[in-house]
Amino acid sequence: MTKHIPILAATLAISSAAFARAENPPPSIDLSRFPAAEVKNVVVPVPSEVFAVLDKLGTPNWRGQLRKSLGKNTGNRAQVALLLGTVIAEGFIAVEAEDSERVKEIGREVLALAEAINVRKAVIARSKSITDLAEARRWREVRTEFDGALNDVRSAMQELGDDNLAQLVSLGGWTRGTEVLTAIVGDSFTSDGAELLHQPELLSYFSETLSRMKSTRLGKDELVVRMRKMLDSIKPLIGKEDGTRISASNVKRINQLTGDTVSAITSEPGVAR
Amino acid sequence: MNKKVLTFLALAALVTVPVFAYVNDALSFAHEAADPYVKKGFSVREDAWGGDLGVEDQQAMTAQLFKGNEYWFALGTEVKGAVVTIHIYDAQGKLAESESWQKGRFAGARVVPSKTGTYYAIVTVEKSPQERTGWAVVYAYK
Repeated sequence: MTKHIPILAATLAISSAAFARAENPPPSIDLSRFPAAEVKNVVVPVPSEVFAVLDKLGTPNWRGQLRKSLGKNTGNRAQVALLLGTVIAEGFIAVEAEDSERVKEIGREVLALAEAINVRKAVIARSKSITDLAEARRWREVRTEFDGALNDVRSAMQELGDDNLAQLVSLGGWTRGTEVLTAIVGDSFTSDGAELLHQPELLSYFSETLSRMKSTRLGKDELVVRMRKMLDSIKPLIGKEDGTRISASNVKRINQLTGDTVSAITSEPGVAR
Repeated sequence: MNKKVLTFLALAALVTVPVFAYVNDALSFAHEAADPYVKKGFSVREDAWGGDLGVEDQQAMTAQLFKGNEYWFALGTEVKGAVVTIHIYDAQGKLAESESWQKGRFAGARVVPSKTGTYYAIVTVEKSPQERTGWAVVYAYK
């Protein structure tokens, strides 16, 4: 085990030796010496984190990114979980577009989809709050509520022992979010914008998650298999090393891959935008 | 990145460690540590990470951070008299934080990522009157 990261400490109770270490955390550590058991899962960023960066990149045409349809619930649990993720991601786009009617519609759809997979109770309060805050055009708070809805749905599924389904909700949201991100970045390409796609460990994490489902019924679902293939196709396009430059053509390719997948999830190919 | 690191990262993805009930108290201290940043316009994520560690043990959290955002990682423990720390390293293992602080059961580290990518938050229980010390981390961004 890697012992011991010197620390920054400031309490009177600690020793002077500890103080010396505290003031000088090592400038580098050997991550490979950390046993796997001492490394937690990749923390999946909430959509707001990505949108916070996009806010700083300019004023894209968010309204143009909204899908005409939120998609159809086919009754397939994998599809519903993935769809729920895409609908929550759509909520963020509607917030960016400051479209209160659309946000309210999405809030209601989140509730309906949550009901279809038995986690309605977890999002009732969020759904109401989204509607109220959208009416008041308090956009930042609406965003927080959508983040919270995603979190609540996942937690509720985990409590029901449906962790795999919870992961699909995250993945659905990530896919729709990435489709929009690539559309925005592709519209006025900058390497800073494209760098937002550099998420190698997150992609590996999602891939591993889906691989672990392979032997389950859920893992054999056509959409889940498709998600796995999509991730495998995206991985080489975003580069492994930090600082990798992601080209405009790769951004476009990722947009196609995620867009096709979102169309498959929503069961409405060809109706996107 | 060498093979060893890749293996470790692959294995890391297999580890699922949710916030257990026994760190609920630690979580309230983590939120307390993050409070000052809310007042500065940061949004604190509603989910959190936690566990328990022995004295001088460490835990790494893997996080995807985005250039253009600013982050504060806030750590807390419920154990009175414990000293915990948190520091942020990039994917190459280089110290990436722009500042950090430690005050007994609380600690924090600020990162302004120079690159979008993977970062590691390293939690350490430096000292504690108990054999195992519950801890929790939340992070805030703007």
